[in-house]
Amino acid sequence: MQFRLEKRAEPSRFMLYATPVGAVILTMIVGAIIFSLIGYDGIGAVREVFLTPLTNAYKWQDLGIKAAPLIIIGTGLSIAYRANVWNIGAEGQYVVGALAGTWVALATYTMSGPWILPLMILAGVVGGALYAAIPALLKTRLNVNEILTSLMLTYASIQLIYYLIRAQWKDPMGIGFPQTRRFAESAQLPTVIPHTIVHLGVPIAIVVALVAWFIMSRSVFGYRMRVVGAAPHAARYGGFSENKTIWLAMLVSGGLAGLAGVLEVAGPFQRMVPGFATGYGFTAIIVAFLGRLNPLGVIFAGIVLAITFVGGEVAQTTIKLPDAATGIFQAMVLFFLLAGDLLVRYRIRRVVTTPAGAA
Amino acid sequence: MEMLIPIIVTLVGAATPILIAALGELVAEKSGVLNLGVEGMMLVGAIAGFVAQFYTGNPYLALLCGAFAGAAVSLIFAFLTLSLSANQTATGLALTIFGTGLSALAGAPYSAKPIALMQPLFPDMLARDPFWRVFFGYSFPVYFSFIMVAAIWWFLKRTRSGLILRAVGENDHSAHSIGYSVTGVRYAAVVFGGAMAGIAGACFPLLLTPQWAESMTAGRGWIAVALVVFASWRPLRLLAGAYLFGLVMTMELYAKAGGGVLAVIPSELWAALPYLATIVVLVLISIRRDASTNAPACLGKPFMPTN
Repeated sequence: MQFRLEKRAEPSRFMLYATPVGAVILTMIVGAIIFSLIGYDGIGAVREVFLTPLTNAYKWQDLGIKAAPLIIIGTGLSIAYRANVWNIGAEGQYVVGALAGTWVALATYTMSGPWILPLMILAGVVGGALYAAIPALLKTRLNVNEILTSLMLTYASIQLIYYLIRAQWKDPMGIGFPQTRRFAESAQLPTVIPHTIVHLGVPIAIVVALVAWFIMSRSVFGYRMRVVGAAPHAARYGGFSENKTIWLAMLVSGGLAGLAGVLEVAGPFQRMVPGFATGYGFTAIIVAFLGRLNPLGVIFAGIVLAITFVGGEVAQTTIKLPDAATGIFQAMVLFFLLAGDLLVRYRIRRVVTTPAGAA
Repeated sequence: MEMLIPIIVTLVGAATPILIAALGELVAEKSGVLNLGVEGMMLVGAIAGFVAQFYTGNPYLALLCGAFAGAAVSLIFAFLTLSLSANQTATGLALTIFGTGLSALAGAPYSAKPIALMQPLFPDMLARDPFWRVFFGYSFPVYFSFIMVAAIWWFLKRTRSGLILRAVGENDHSAHSIGYSVTGVRYAAVVFGGAMAGIAGACFPLLLTPQWAESMTAGRGWIAVALVVFASWRPLRLLAGAYLFGLVMTMELYAKAGGGVLAVIPSELWAALPYLATIVVLVLISIRRDASTNAPACLGKPFMPTN
């Protein structure tokens, strides 16, 4: 008995949405086995990383504020990847957006008013979009690979944090710590649920994803992105300029990464610190894929990845699972998802072979 | 001249791991596979090499362990992209995320524990000589990298197997119809790339900083990927490119040590320079001519035999 792959005439919609769920379940099973094999409490690890954040109500706030940046960045990336524009430097755009917001917060430190926060957010979006404009410019004008340029700019952006907070922006009261002063009240992101840490970024994330979903499925812009990604030749016939699409994809994904950055610095951090870049921009790549490049899916995927972050922290304290385990679980989700893609495009058929000579 | 020798020695040390990793990636790309997991494979090689050196003190065994570890994780990539025809860009990114996590997990017990650096290949009389050390003062991986430049050039240009590998990368369907196993050749090329990335990663604890630090390859794997484009898939140009980057990194080290005029520029800018330089060289190469002309025609495209 043998198995054979047969190309489906149409990608299977069922498999398209079933495979992300399957990938998470497989990660839990295989993860438990692997972590047991290398000497950890495998079942405990999976329980703490994937389930405790959901069953423990105290962790829900954490889930919300960790999911928010993942959803915002993941939404932007899902739009870019749809158009086959491989922006993998969202982490850098997130950093530059946060730095732009920090700049506004520090420049207005002695002032107050309800206009400061919107101005910071605007600066963050513009900052992120401008940083993404560099790979867009190089790609459209000189055909330089956007994967490499956007990633290299991420490494450079982290040095930019170090540079700015070491001297120019250093907290005068910081006793030698390289960090900015804490933002003034007007530059802090308010919480939306009293007595919790759930800040304005959480509802913003949901709104961003919903608006993006509406635009992607109902507008010419969304149609353009989908056509250019799926059928570049047809798109050219249809009069969609490829360069314009690259620009739009980069600016939208960079701007959203910048938005996430400014919300993060004005919310949970309330100042710029050396360890600001915690990798949301990279994890959001997984979020975009797990959400099937669909903003609605990105909401769920963002929550799933947020669970692994929160759960990873839980497991660190309860069962002494190293921090790095979170990254391994996240990568496994993506591996299984990519493997499952085969089932979307192909079906597996059993081939009954008749032994030679039997006929 | 006397002053230049320590600079050259530092430069060679910085260039070697990038060169080795880039050579492996070049072979994989020549077969038509774009593996963006170099950084992840290097990190896995680095921790494997570190642990082997820590327990055995045998740096050759450590390099071998690095090669095996890099090759092992490259098999995940090969299986997903070649057997299951998964998207190569996404799978490569996943491999880098996985390798970063795996190496950090495996390396957690070893932070701040020193190992011995790999010693020069040649006897002290040559290796420690103030002048001759510029040629003979290096450990094995440096000479290995030069040999591999020549060997890969020869393999691709002059051997039948190299021709098959290039054919698979240029026109997979024709190669398949003549009877070559496209998937088999690509598996071999990817695993070779993984082994080379693993060796390159092991060079970090063995040659540069004799300890384990999370993400110690610091993006050098990505620079290696960029170098392959810069070199337009030619091994000899890869050599030039790797040494150009080695020079940038050497300048960074001297600037950090407070070297005169170099210190005028903030240290953070020096640290960012290799990445910015990568962008500059990618731009230069694309201005000079259409960068994609020499790229293997099937690079990054999945192949599924139709039979």
